[in-house]
Amino acid sequence: MNTLIYTSCLGLFCLLAEILNLRKLLVPLVVLGITVIFGVNYMEWNQGGSFYNDMLRIDHFSVAFSALVLLVGMLILVLTADYYKNEIHHISDYLAILIFTLCGALIMLSFSNMAMLFLGIEILSISLYIMAGSKRFETKSNEAGFKYFLMGAFASGFLLFGIALIYGVTNSFHLEKIGMYIMNHDATTISPLFYIGMMLMLVAMLFKVAAAPFHFWSPDVYEGSPALITAFMSTLVKIAAFGALYRLFATCFVGTLSYATQTLSIVSVASLAIGNFTALHQTNFKRLMAYSGISHAGYLLLAIIALYANTASALFYYSAGYAFATIGAFAVAIPVFHSMQNEGMDAFNGLGKKNPLLAALLTMSMLSLAGIPPFAGFLGKYYIFSKAIAAGHVALTLIAVIASMIGAYYYLKVVLAMYTKDSNDKTIEASPLYIMVAVFCVAMSLVLGLFPNMLMGLI
Amino acid sequence: MTEQLMQDATFVLPGILIPLFPLIGFVINGVFGKYIPKSVSGWIATLAIFASFVVAVSVFSKLNATDSITIELFDWIAFSNMQIGFSFLLDSLTMVMLLVITGIGFLIHLYSIGYMHDDEASTRFFTYLNLFIFFMLLLVMGSNYLVMFIGWEGVGLCSYLLIGFWFKNDAYNNAAKKAFVMNRIGDLGFLLGMFFILFNFGTLEYDAVAQQASAFAPNSMLIVSITLLLFVGAMGKSAQLPLYTWLPDAMAGPTPVSALIHAATMVTAGIYMVVRSNVLFALAPHTLDVILWVGVATSVFAAVIGLMQNDIKKVLAYSTVSQLGLMFAALGLGAFASGMFHVVTHAFFKACLFLGSGSVIHALHGEQDIRKMGGLKKLIPITYITFIIASFAISGFPLLSGFFSKDEILAHAFEQNKLVWTILSISSMITAFYMFRLVYLTFYGNFRGTDETKKHIHESPLTITIPLIILCILSVFGGLLGLPSVFHVSHLFADYLAAVTDPSKAFLHAHEKVSHMTEIVLMSFAGLAAIVSIYYAYTKYVKKGEQPADEASLTGLQKWISNKFYVDELYDKIIVKPMLILSDLFLVLVDKLIIDLSVNAVAWFVGLTGRATRLLQTGNTGFYIFAMVLSMVVLFVIRLLA
Repeated sequence: MNTLIYTSCLGLFCLLAEILNLRKLLVPLVVLGITVIFGVNYMEWNQGGSFYNDMLRIDHFSVAFSALVLLVGMLILVLTADYYKNEIHHISDYLAILIFTLCGALIMLSFSNMAMLFLGIEILSISLYIMAGSKRFETKSNEAGFKYFLMGAFASGFLLFGIALIYGVTNSFHLEKIGMYIMNHDATTISPLFYIGMMLMLVAMLFKVAAAPFHFWSPDVYEGSPALITAFMSTLVKIAAFGALYRLFATCFVGTLSYATQTLSIVSVASLAIGNFTALHQTNFKRLMAYSGISHAGYLLLAIIALYANTASALFYYSAGYAFATIGAFAVAIPVFHSMQNEGMDAFNGLGKKNPLLAALLTMSMLSLAGIPPFAGFLGKYYIFSKAIAAGHVALTLIAVIASMIGAYYYLKVVLAMYTKDSNDKTIEASPLYIMVAVFCVAMSLVLGLFPNMLMGLI
Repeated sequence: MTEQLMQDATFVLPGILIPLFPLIGFVINGVFGKYIPKSVSGWIATLAIFASFVVAVSVFSKLNATDSITIELFDWIAFSNMQIGFSFLLDSLTMVMLLVITGIGFLIHLYSIGYMHDDEASTRFFTYLNLFIFFMLLLVMGSNYLVMFIGWEGVGLCSYLLIGFWFKNDAYNNAAKKAFVMNRIGDLGFLLGMFFILFNFGTLEYDAVAQQASAFAPNSMLIVSITLLLFVGAMGKSAQLPLYTWLPDAMAGPTPVSALIHAATMVTAGIYMVVRSNVLFALAPHTLDVILWVGVATSVFAAVIGLMQNDIKKVLAYSTVSQLGLMFAALGLGAFASGMFHVVTHAFFKACLFLGSGSVIHALHGEQDIRKMGGLKKLIPITYITFIIASFAISGFPLLSGFFSKDEILAHAFEQNKLVWTILSISSMITAFYMFRLVYLTFYGNFRGTDETKKHIHESPLTITIPLIILCILSVFGGLLGLPSVFHVSHLFADYLAAVTDPSKAFLHAHEKVSHMTEIVLMSFAGLAAIVSIYYAYTKYVKKGEQPADEASLTGLQKWISNKFYVDELYDKIIVKPMLILSDLFLVLVDKLIIDLSVNAVAWFVGLTGRATRLLQTGNTGFYIFAMVLSMVVLFVIRLLA
């Protein structure tokens, strides 16, 4: 609970800093603040409980995911110092918005009431609509922000309508009470309206995680947004939305999971197929990462489908592995784009010779994303697949394995470009902050891959 | 219990430090080697090993012979019901190996500083050497088969890198590849053995495996299979028939490598592994018989080949193979402690011999052919004295280290199987003969090389001679660790290892100990045999001044021996050639026709689909929303129809 309060206060502090003229000191202060909040969050591990008339509930699941979200936020905030150094007069706004995004994510991970879920998603989304369009003088960025907003508003509509229908049937917004309703009825006596409501909510959530066929926004938005925001979106939104989806199904819709299984399976396969197939021909790195994100949503959906096999830990481990690999990749890609003035895949040509350290870091991040040992990406897939098999979804797992084989192709294409292709002799410089973040992420991928028990079995 | 834990805690730090120092040395030289002057890198590597040695000695002084201390570093692999930890084991057997590896390793590092002084890649050399020591320490310190296996593979890698150290020479690269491939064959056996253990016992920890295995009857199918597979691994690493041919070729590496890896330490890993699993092997008398006869055959076979070799290092290499055979024969007889004892004494004198041969080669600027040597006695006296003493030791000259350790094995053979005893005695006599053939041809008579070379012959620097002297002293007195019972003193070495080797005694056939009288007779016989062989070599090569004949002029058996019984050619004919033909066949039929075609078809299909799905991404928001709603409706309909 304190985590959320302090994070909100930190966001307000950023706005105040504008008045106090603290812009130059702001990034270090904010990073320090997040570090403190990380500690506060840690302290809540054994406390837990429910707050605000049971609107929020803090448990091991929410604390663990909150920690991950805070860590992701911290890494991105560290990079803002360099990324926005030419827009110093806006920095406090940007930071405030980013921190409010974190607040939204924290709410999404600890809600126990549908109203809070909606609130969390909206706080998260509205902040991101703004951030996506934050390069004000670039039409692509404007387009991205606007597209995201239009489509997001549509999805919010689905979500609200779904919640309303469920309220109509069960007379409650409260997850447990809705769960009780399902418990007290057998499958035939549950009102059809309830099912429709659940499916509408599901569609809205699938939109947020960018699962096919509700993924259309993500390649365009990822490409148009500032690269740092793309990194933020592709990790934070995905983790928070999957956390929320898991929470929703684990505490509320657990009794009707079987009804949604078919839909979830179709969406999972569609995401795996569209994500991996389309990624093959991308020439823009950010679009590539968008499709990569879509395919990862497909893998993560397996964790929801196999919910009965107790997949919380696997989901958490996978999310962590995915987050570190993605941020590691972006922490290398951003300075490369900046030096090359080009966001295409050819920006990486010859990086292996020009800057071996950056190339090595990107290689390892890509290997982790492709799911190659000893990185966390491999074990994450392993855990999710083995849980899915344990829950009896063998065919689905098989498709996922084949998809991950195809996926290796485009991740390695990036590696290939770095080491085998020649390029012009523009030098590539990366500020120490990027290198630091990338090294940290790669190290985490490795450490998690070698010592998975640090996270597995935590929840 | 608490006392035990307290005691364990004092060993945790040293237990980690021992392998850590070489690893640090490896990282320093490997990563920052470019910035370190060449002369410094050798000292860094040497100091790293010395530090490990000091820690190992301190642990040795604190560890009781009966202690068995497990240091759990972290859980490594944990799946549902399988737990494999990354942990170390400190007990008397590990301790013996630790002292040998770090002690002799240190001396050889020191020696290498002088030996590799002029090599432009000496930093790389020391990097590999440190890495080797690190893996070797893992191999002997692991508390389960998997950690041992990492070390096992690691030393194999380092051996490969070091044999091919002078990679500009293709023959050396081929030797390195050969060593690697032959070891892979053995490793496959080891791996399968490990899978068998894990599958049936659910653990890879030595003590747990031994405990569970004890429940099986002797010669049960399972234990025999496991031990045979493990022994295949040992055969590869310790160069036993039929997987021995890589070791003589491995002499392509720099001489310190031959001394450290291919004589004193790595090749004894197979012995260590069998002794470590002595309970398993004792439960499989059939396997022990196999080991015994493989060892005996290897011992005599390699000794015979050694008779006709003219390369100073090749002679020593075949001698190593032969001595390893002797050690395996000891293990096959169930005399695990005796086998280990010979490992230790052999490490002393064989390291000394190899380093001595290195010193000779160094003095002659790379000449290795003994036909072009001779008369070096006066020119390089320290090398000469240490070399001849070590040769006496390996020949089993009375009261030197090799005498006691060999005699112990021969005594066990005499107790159990007179035929084995006879063959091993003959093999020992051959050993004594060819070793002194080597000594006399190298150091006695007149110099047979060019005058130009002779002018430049000089004794090696101190970094080379000091290790020689220390190893020579150890070769002389090393035998005192294990005096036979005739002397009415306890066998220090066997007593020290008792805690490790005793558990298997219950499963072995008890044999009547030979009487003191017999023991004295056997010892006198062995000593006499050695002296006679040496004398025979003396009359042949010094008095009569015979020279090895030119290979082309040899006929009959001699030609066969000189050509190493054509084993390499045989392997080439029956294994390599058919394999190449088969692989050509597969290339055309399976790879090109089936795999390439199908893979390309899949890739083509995937690519096509990718192009198609890309078209959906029009960039038009209206279309996106339409597609979203449409997909939702479709999903709903499918759901309702299902």
